[in-house]
Amino acid sequence: MPTAGLKTIIALSFVLAVGFLLVILSCALWHSYYPLLVVGTYVLAPVPNWVCSHCSNPDDFVESSGAAVLDLGRFCTGFLVVMGIALPVLLAHSSLISIPAMVMSVIGGLLIYGTIISFAMFFQEEQEF
Amino acid sequence: MSEDRLWKFRRPEWLNSIWARNAGVYAAGAFFSLAFYTLLDSAVWSKSALNGSDLHVTFVDWLPFIFSSLGMLIINSVEKARLSADSFSYSGSGVAWKARVVLFLGFAALAGGMAGGVTVFVLKFVVPGVPFPAMGMGVENVVANALVGLSSVVLWVSQNMEDEYSYNLSL
Repeated sequence: MPTAGLKTIIALSFVLAVGFLLVILSCALWHSYYPLLVVGTYVLAPVPNWVCSHCSNPDDFVESSGAAVLDLGRFCTGFLVVMGIALPVLLAHSSLISIPAMVMSVIGGLLIYGTIISFAMFFQEEQEF
Repeated sequence: MSEDRLWKFRRPEWLNSIWARNAGVYAAGAFFSLAFYTLLDSAVWSKSALNGSDLHVTFVDWLPFIFSSLGMLIINSVEKARLSADSFSYSGSGVAWKARVVLFLGFAALAGGMAGGVTVFVLKFVVPGVPFPAMGMGVENVVANALVGLSSVVLWVSQNMEDEYSYNLSL
């Protein structure tokens, strides 16, 4: 893991801003504000993992009750991540939003989620000590 | 260890890693999400302006999905280690038997959900001869139930992977 410096923070915040720009533009250009749901989805996506990792005791390896809670968190995270892609596709299929709005909101959502994930990866090691 | 093996081909080494197990659980969540949103897509499409037919998605179309999700929940809530009663001396008082009954109910609900999806597809869409854009709602119903089944298979396999992993670790 490379050391996270100031450049990383600047780059990540830039990518986050581009992601929000794409999502908000996909809403505002076509005057239908359904794609904003994608932002909420991707902000919520790491929450189950975070909650469940605090609920379980990482020390008991053999007793699988701790791992079950972790698995539940991973399951919910996988659900929410795919929801962020599936929701714009669903809305575009029913022509509630247009196809370019769908593409923009999917790309923007992936950028936002990638920012959150890489931020957590870069700054995870310092929290442990 | 190698004496207990039943199959000729051994599992590849990477399948036992904790990384593959976590990826399996994430993939199971992803498949379940795809299933849910496929079905939700058919419901939203049926109420949208694109649907020219009189056919609409009602509660009947959701019922197979509810059953297969319930089956998936039951199957994956059962502790897998309790199934093999012969290797555990402390699971004597009928725990393995109970686990098998509950697991049977779960698989029955899952298979019943899939069969229900096909039933709704045949009775509501194929037999009246619905033309294709509206027929898509029935196809999505079948696809959603199949994806729930796939999701529970992936989750089951990756949970069994975990058992093997912790077994290797405890040795």
